[in-house]
Amino acid sequence: MNYEFSEEEKRFRESVEEFCKRYIEPRWVEIDEKGHIPLDLIKRLGEQGLFAIPVPEKYGGMGGNMTLAAIAVEEIAYHDPAVAVAVYTLLQNGWPLALSIFGSEAAKQEILPKVASGDAFFGIGSTEPQGGSDVAGIKTVAKRSGNKWVINGEKAYISGVREISELPEGGGYFLVSKTEKAEWGHKNITDFVLLPKWHGKMSEKVKPTVYDEIGRHGISTGGFKIEDFEVDDEFRIGEINKGFYYVMEGFNIARVLVAAATIGSARWALDKGAEWIRERKLFQGKPIASFQGVNFRFAELYAELEAAKYFVYRAAWMVDNTYLTNSPRFKPRDLDVPVALAKMKGPETATRIYEEVLKWLGAYGYTKESNVYRGWLGTFSYTIGAEGSQNIMRYVIAREVIGKEYVSHTG
Amino acid sequence: MRIIVALKPTYDVSQLKFDSEGVPLLDTCPVTLGEADKCALEEALKVKGSLGATVVAVTVGQSEAHIKGIKDALAMGADEGYIIKINNAWNISSITVANAIARFAVVTGPYDIVFTGSGAGDTHSSIIGPMVSALLGYRLVANADKVEVKEQKATAKCTMEDGTYNYEVEFPAVITVTSEANEPRIPTLKAILRSKNMQVKEIGPEQLGLSVEEYKDIKVIKHMVERKRVIMEASDQKSTEESVVKLLTFLKDEGVI
Ligand SMILES: Cc1cc2nc3c(=O)[nH]c(=O)nc-3n(C[C@H](O)[C@H](O)[C@H](O)COP(=O)(O)OP(=O)(O)OC[C@H]3O[C@@H](n4cnc5c(N)ncnc54)[C@H](O)[C@@H]3O)c2cc1C
Repeated sequence: MNYEFSEEEKRFRESVEEFCKRYIEPRWVEIDEKGHIPLDLIKRLGEQGLFAIPVPEKYGGMGGNMTLAAIAVEEIAYHDPAVAVAVYTLLQNGWPLALSIFGSEAAKQEILPKVASGDAFFGIGSTEPQGGSDVAGIKTVAKRSGNKWVINGEKAYISGVREISELPEGGGYFLVSKTEKAEWGHKNITDFVLLPKWHGKMSEKVKPTVYDEIGRHGISTGGFKIEDFEVDDEFRIGEINKGFYYVMEGFNIARVLVAAATIGSARWALDKGAEWIRERKLFQGKPIASFQGVNFRFAELYAELEAAKYFVYRAAWMVDNTYLTNSPRFKPRDLDVPVALAKMKGPETATRIYEEVLKWLGAYGYTKESNVYRGWLGTFSYTIGAEGSQNIMRYVIAREVIGKEYVSHTG
Repeated sequence: MRIIVALKPTYDVSQLKFDSEGVPLLDTCPVTLGEADKCALEEALKVKGSLGATVVAVTVGQSEAHIKGIKDALAMGADEGYIIKINNAWNISSITVANAIARFAVVTGPYDIVFTGSGAGDTHSSIIGPMVSALLGYRLVANADKVEVKEQKATAKCTMEDGTYNYEVEFPAVITVTSEANEPRIPTLKAILRSKNMQVKEIGPEQLGLSVEEYKDIKVIKHMVERKRVIMEASDQKSTEESVVKLLTFLKDEGVI
């Protein structure tokens, strides 16, 4: 067992840190304030090779792996604790990897190089207005018509809606849809590549709206109605009616990076907190760090953060073994628990750390000037949803560890 | 074209922390290539991109930090990287360092350009480049804020205390580069992975014809001046005037003026 990052991994982390210090740290507050990641920053992230890290080079990717992608996302979130840039980056690593595993050759050749370069966005379109946790209950339907599929439905709370309309090329989603009829169940789901805007041209058959959110303002979340949108069969992802399984595997991949973003932001908060408790002096010049009520809590939170970090990098290592080195010992299903542990622990640890650090900062923490609240609201998004709610992580762990015969998601 | 870039790993002053007494905490401070050194390397890599060149990175010293500095240079795009194996590199004189680099240029040369940072991140004495040029008999352009390299010569804009100078220099030349000259590239993941199997080559002082006598430790003598902490109050017009008189008397008594 080896608990050390390799020399290349360390050097890569340093390079991302240098990039962030130069291009992200000076702008993160402005990004959150203005609710917008500047397009030139997205382009730079692409040029620096921070998208499609685990995607093979033949599809324009970096030929790296998930461990490296997690390092990049964690480091970006440290320098943009409101996490918008980290979320943008994680989506452009997780879902492109899923497409490179399950997508057709044509779709991979067409889309992935443009995502890698930062000219297009590729995210996930799963959640619908009636509820995101119940993927088997989606209502979007794809009907086959010769060599094409005609899709109708509505998606909600989807990241990247505005960015697709703004990027020069455009982009789209790993779309989850019912096959032919909207009946509850997971054996009648097919996935497609849906591109509302491509080659700079916006389709009129996808009608987006953008929501006003409480945090991580830099990246948009929105919804869209799909009306008779035609997709070539070439852009179907994998086999017909196996879409539920592909998207679950995709979630497993993306969740690792979600957790990586939350621990990066949380590390920033804890560093800020440590700096403050060393310097804030009370009761005749004693640093508040000298009070057990403060330093014991620090130790507890530090331990939680370290634990979350181990969960994240173990899960990343498992994804690498499962999908990239194709080690025969690793099966996709083996990822369920390690990934759920990371996605459960990361966001919840981040929220706890933010709540405590805000208290250490006292009234100053409650002002907008301290900026700490931005990270709190940003990471909180991941305790609500995005790649699965926290209860769904608990459900996965309980189901796998206690046993399916005891644990049901409908009971 | 063949280019040497001479580099020195130094404490990353931007990350330097101090203890409560104000003593710098060097043990916990990361060591990296200095900013101006990175800009020197960037100039060399730009030439490689535009005209084609072999870029050889070299440092004097064999510590972990020296090896890492050269690996970082390889990740940025240098073609070859060397450490000159002198184990007390932090404690030798500048002339010894310059001599080692000049000997390296002779032994592994010929070269068209030697690039180096205008000053190291820590000592910032700005003398290595000029010394190397003198030892090699190469032309010198120091403190270049802007460099343009053509086939046979380079032009450079240098800001000096008394104004801005534009130079044109034929090769071989030593050009020292300031941290204003460019924005050094940050190695991409692909470049890092490509450099993974590149060797950091070692070259011993004996291979360069340097004798042990030349690189023995220099003695560092510190001059400490005890501060007297004399404080003069100056809160209003009257006390300010009185303080001026007191201060002048004090400085006279001390023999300062
Ligand atoms: C900022 C943000 C960005 C997002 N981006 C995307 C995106 O890009 N693409 C996308 O497809 N989706 C996205 N989502 C949606 C996200 O994935 C969903 O929020 C999530 O799946 C939960 O769905 P829901 O919000 O509809 O809540 P619901 O599914 O309605 O759940 C409501 C509550 O019930 C709980 N619950 C549900 N089922 C169970 C159960 N069986 N046992 C116990 N508790 C249960 C949940 O934990 C939750 O607390 C995003 C969400 C957010 C907040």
